[in-house]
Amino acid sequence: MLVPLSVSTKKIRLIGAALLCFSLSWANLSHADGRVIVLDSGEAALTLIDQTTHKIVGTQPTGKEPHHLMITPDGRSLIVANSVSNDLMFLDPQTGKVQRRVEDIEDPYQLGFSPDHHWFVTAALRMNRVDIYHYDGQNFTLAKRIPLEKTPSHLTFASDNRTVFVTLQDSGELAAIDLPTQTLLWRMPVGKEPAGLWMTPGDRDVLVGMTGEDDVAVVDWHKQQIVKKIQTGRGAHNFRNLDDGMHVAVSNRVESTISIVDYNSLQKVGDITGLLPGPDDMELSADRRYLWVTFRFAKHVGIIDLTTRKLIDTIAVGRSPHGLYFADRAPVSAPNPD
Amino acid sequence: MIHEIAAQLDNGISALQTLLYIDVVQPIFYRFGLMGYDEDTYDALYWVIVGVLEILVTYLALRPLEALRPAEVWSDRKALRADVIYTWIAKLGIINIAFFFMLQPLFDHWQSLMALYDVPNIDIDGIWPGVTDQPIVSFLIYLIVLDFAGYWYHRWQHRFGVWWELHAVHHSQQQMSLWADDRNHFLDDIIQAAFFAAISLFVGVQPVQFVVLVAVGNFMQSVQHVNARLPYGWLLERTIVSPIFHRRHHAIGYGHEGTRYGCNFGVLFPWWDMMFGTVAWNHTIEPTGIRDQLPTPNGVGRGYGNGLWAQQWYAFGRIVERLRGRRLYEDRG
Repeated sequence: MLVPLSVSTKKIRLIGAALLCFSLSWANLSHADGRVIVLDSGEAALTLIDQTTHKIVGTQPTGKEPHHLMITPDGRSLIVANSVSNDLMFLDPQTGKVQRRVEDIEDPYQLGFSPDHHWFVTAALRMNRVDIYHYDGQNFTLAKRIPLEKTPSHLTFASDNRTVFVTLQDSGELAAIDLPTQTLLWRMPVGKEPAGLWMTPGDRDVLVGMTGEDDVAVVDWHKQQIVKKIQTGRGAHNFRNLDDGMHVAVSNRVESTISIVDYNSLQKVGDITGLLPGPDDMELSADRRYLWVTFRFAKHVGIIDLTTRKLIDTIAVGRSPHGLYFADRAPVSAPNPD
Repeated sequence: MIHEIAAQLDNGISALQTLLYIDVVQPIFYRFGLMGYDEDTYDALYWVIVGVLEILVTYLALRPLEALRPAEVWSDRKALRADVIYTWIAKLGIINIAFFFMLQPLFDHWQSLMALYDVPNIDIDGIWPGVTDQPIVSFLIYLIVLDFAGYWYHRWQHRFGVWWELHAVHHSQQQMSLWADDRNHFLDDIIQAAFFAAISLFVGVQPVQFVVLVAVGNFMQSVQHVNARLPYGWLLERTIVSPIFHRRHHAIGYGHEGTRYGCNFGVLFPWWDMMFGTVAWNHTIEPTGIRDQLPTPNGVGRGYGNGLWAQQWYAFGRIVERLRGRRLYEDRG
């Protein structure tokens, strides 16, 4: 007997709807299980926050001065870099549970994997050095330590996996290092206190957050020239792409604002104001609606609704909150490290 | 309850820290191109506020005791003026700032060299994973290790002549009071900071997140110098350094005699003196100071300076004398 097509379609739709409901509820459940991990750099601890309810669900010790963190290329571990303890701590990115520690990574203030994941680079801010490691998916083997004064702080890469760029905070420079040969290619002055870095699509320019100024320097790294300075706010510091193919957020640590920059036209298109003091690192929810930000000088994390560009919630955390991460997030655009 | 009070106190200090930083310090740093010190200064400001609170709490808690139960009765407190200035300098972190700029880069460089040349070190946090990396455990271990180091540092201050001349600034107090702890030669302060920084190269850096415990440690050292009779009892006196225990260390001829003799060197805990045979439990209150400050025939009436700068400067004069072989008063003691 032939089954009427309409009935069959209805059944399929019902089954489909049921599956959709199940998958949505599963997604909600997994979303509810998601943890926001915030590094309280002044307290040798991290704070775990429920991403949905915004409630603190726990704290746990780290090493001393954990500043930055990033996901491993396989997504199975979150690396917390303890700069004063000289080690890396691997955590479950969902729960924050400690998986393992890697000792003798000296002063890992900032860290990053090359886009092909073959190189792991740390900026040792206190030690005035950049350390380059081979990475085989599990182990870090030191390739070379490169002395680089003064105070190397933030990193980004070129898509060819050959070049890593480093800001030298106290000497006001941007440096480029060749990864295969582990040699310094060049260094160029960019202005006062360069900090965060962001590579624009197509590897056209490197954006440099100028913490000692009120702008972002646009560097044509092929020619080693500053092509523009985009005025954002005092203390321009770090970046987070908004995953819309157009915009990147810039935290202004002195102005206590976040600027939205169009990286195609290289123009500032707006500011998010009414924030707490010292916005620093940022992370974007998977639906691209909520921008989480650490307020370095206020012991709080904030959540900004990007549709209204308003701060909608703040959560008290430990002293000097710096890096933050959650698994349910919008992708960071390559070749920029997480 | 205690945890809640500490948390509220921390929140209050942090709010003040943020206010001062954002409205006063950061604009100045931004204006003068000092944003490289942005984070360090923000962190240091917390300790400056804690230092000011320490002074207030110490004064409010100990000054009434000095008035009610004095160990010694003085005709006036003019001699303490310099000590008050020393206390403010120390608690406002001025010595730490000097160390940060003068020597911290050197120690960072040494740490780097140690890594490059595989010089072994013991990271206290990592001795017993799961236990010693718990912050409170590691703090207590560091406290004991550093107090042990402090005991030996103090013994060497009394053992070596040139070093003693610096430490004599501290011992030249003839009126010990709640203000006395921070009266030191600044060079000695820097050497001490370097000594502990050197130790941290080999055992790791002490955790600083236990603000209350650090503040209590500082308070304990102020208590040790207080001019008051405080009943500690047999057990407590053997657990932490008491004022009578430390007063004995300052007593002329009983607690020290230049580089020739000394007892009760402990900083926070008397255990090291008990362990190394330098303990004295005698409770008799004796005059404090240095023998050659005394008028003849007991001393030579030597001045160690009334004001801060004189005390600092005279130390160098004594060092020169000692290096020329003309500073042997303790052998006549």
